[in-house]
Amino acid sequence: MRVKSRLIAFSAALVAGTMLGSVASMAQAVDAKRLEMAGHDSKDWLTYHSSYMGYDYSGLDQINTKTVKNLEVAWMHFPGRTTRGLQSMPLAADGVVYYSSSFSRVFAIDGASGKVLWSYVPKLDEDLIARQTHSPYNRGIAIGDGHVYVGTVDGRLIAIDMKTGQPAWDTKLVDSQKLTVGFTGAPLFVRGKVIIGSQGGEWPVQGTIFGVDAATGKQIWSFSTTAGTEEAKKSWGNDTWRIGGGGGWMPGTYDAETNTVWWGTANPDPLYDWAGADIKTQGARPGDNLYTTSVLALDPDTGKLKFYHQELPHDNWDFDSALGEFMMLDRGGKKYMVHVNKSGFIFVYDRANAKVENVWPIVHNYNFVKNIDPKTGELIGRRDFVAGPQQEPLCPAIAGGVSWNSGSYSPKSGLWYKVGNEWCITLEVVKTTPITEPQVQLNIGANFKMAPPPSGPIYGHLDARDPITGKLKWEVKYNAPPTASVLSTAGNLVFLPDAAGIIHAYDAETGKELWSHNDGVGHNGGIISYMAHGKQYIAVETGFGGLVGDDYGSMFGEPWKSMPRDAGALVVFGLGSDKMATK
Amino acid sequence: MILFSRAAALALLLAAAALPARAETGAAAPSDPTKNGEILFATSCGWCHSDGGREAGKGPKLAGTTRDDAFIINRIKNGKPGAMPAWGKVFDDAQIENILHYIRSLPSK
Repeated sequence: MRVKSRLIAFSAALVAGTMLGSVASMAQAVDAKRLEMAGHDSKDWLTYHSSYMGYDYSGLDQINTKTVKNLEVAWMHFPGRTTRGLQSMPLAADGVVYYSSSFSRVFAIDGASGKVLWSYVPKLDEDLIARQTHSPYNRGIAIGDGHVYVGTVDGRLIAIDMKTGQPAWDTKLVDSQKLTVGFTGAPLFVRGKVIIGSQGGEWPVQGTIFGVDAATGKQIWSFSTTAGTEEAKKSWGNDTWRIGGGGGWMPGTYDAETNTVWWGTANPDPLYDWAGADIKTQGARPGDNLYTTSVLALDPDTGKLKFYHQELPHDNWDFDSALGEFMMLDRGGKKYMVHVNKSGFIFVYDRANAKVENVWPIVHNYNFVKNIDPKTGELIGRRDFVAGPQQEPLCPAIAGGVSWNSGSYSPKSGLWYKVGNEWCITLEVVKTTPITEPQVQLNIGANFKMAPPPSGPIYGHLDARDPITGKLKWEVKYNAPPTASVLSTAGNLVFLPDAAGIIHAYDAETGKELWSHNDGVGHNGGIISYMAHGKQYIAVETGFGGLVGDDYGSMFGEPWKSMPRDAGALVVFGLGSDKMATK
Repeated sequence: MILFSRAAALALLLAAAALPARAETGAAAPSDPTKNGEILFATSCGWCHSDGGREAGKGPKLAGTTRDDAFIINRIKNGKPGAMPAWGKVFDDAQIENILHYIRSLPSK
């Protein structure tokens, strides 16, 4: 009997050991080294933009121009309570998919079967959420050093054990109960630190970027985007930096070669100042309003500012630089950083110092400036306002010439695939007073409504362009601007999930549509590709709503008029096993 | 000395020119509830209620609404989960009354 017990115990240990060994052999640690080595040939999707290179590109090619016709739904996952749809970017490592949904719920799922490995549902301040304007969506997570990291709309950053789903630490960074803003965007893991930016923008707060120890959750540094230096404070009349807005609500990227984090910041408030031509000395926030609507280069260890470029001094149009799309490109011996401004202008920088190398527009309809000098980045013929109705609609609209979801750069085709929006707003500027008591509130400073551009009806377009020069190769138009991210792959495919619910696959070289599928509800989130058990998958988030999409019902009618705002799912596509041979 | 004084004066002038003027806000007229409501609306409500509530956008058109005062006040105070924030702990009763005054002042065309 005793011998038998020992035998059972030994057998159990052997089985457990074998299982653990099996898992360990499949999974490698996601650490700083792996993240920095990840390139465009990765089988995973380790950061928000696939890798620090910021391409939103997959090097997998089982699904390609020949096999894509056989793409079919492999599995789906419904996270529940998806208010305003899924808006995050899934991540994938070693065949496991990690993703977040509204209310900062996080899931780990077997990438091949769809089996839920664990789920984490944080307890949030629901009373606060009821008072927030932009809640409760979540736009993504980061992974590194054994944790999944997620921000919350009530001002916390949480680390979850990647294997068990148990919380490791939970750090309060922002007094959201007073300031209203919290975290909606994804964090960025960099060498043992987690970096995350708060909302700010139209709220009269000091939007802040934080650096947190990934192991302990202890805050290491913070950088105020309105008062990070004395130079910044001097660029706000009457100390309005105290309530200037800013923030950095989407993740940036990391240049390991120079140990530099690039992060984009949001706009100042009120959105529309009434100083007329006297923006330096009059109005609601006199001055350039540093470092709002800027790209910042920060030391990830200290949060110290290395260099910066303010894309729109005294941003008067809500055209953030907070869109986190940064692409590292090397060409002709030069090292570039390409960044997307919400105005629809694309800024090309020298990666060493943020010196402007080129600026080009992806949109056709703009009048907030006459142009931006491609050599210096200087705004030419900027359009500022005095209080009252504006004669001519403002273009692009407040929703942006581009929105916050990402484009995709294919190193195989050398093309960047990005959505541009052609729309405007009518505008009446109103002198407002910032509300900071008892709780901070939006400070817009205007009445507006969506309006068609001078060129005709509102529309959106997926462009295939050279990201440095802006030269157009092909374009696909949509009656309603797509609001989700774009994916390109080594299979010479470009996937675009559109706002009506159709996911399209195009030939990356020609723009010819090769495949489509109706997901039944609009797309407003991320799309990735990954490998699990030797097979390539495409994972796309569905569900609609938000500060752009909520206008679609009144602008375009059906299907958005009746589209639910709480029907998001993760939909995963793969090739049938008998159909992969057609590669 | 004169040169110094002139230089100093010029420096002061330049410094003064470089110093932004006092920031301006849209102080409301307490005696005009509709104007107060209009400013509050353009501060925080106009994001969703297009054209100052005159058109449907993210939120419904408010001009000419057939909802009664009690419904509108309740909706402002308690919001609508997933669609509209609750303002009851943010705005006091007088401010909410002002917003109601503004909504009622919108032409119902």
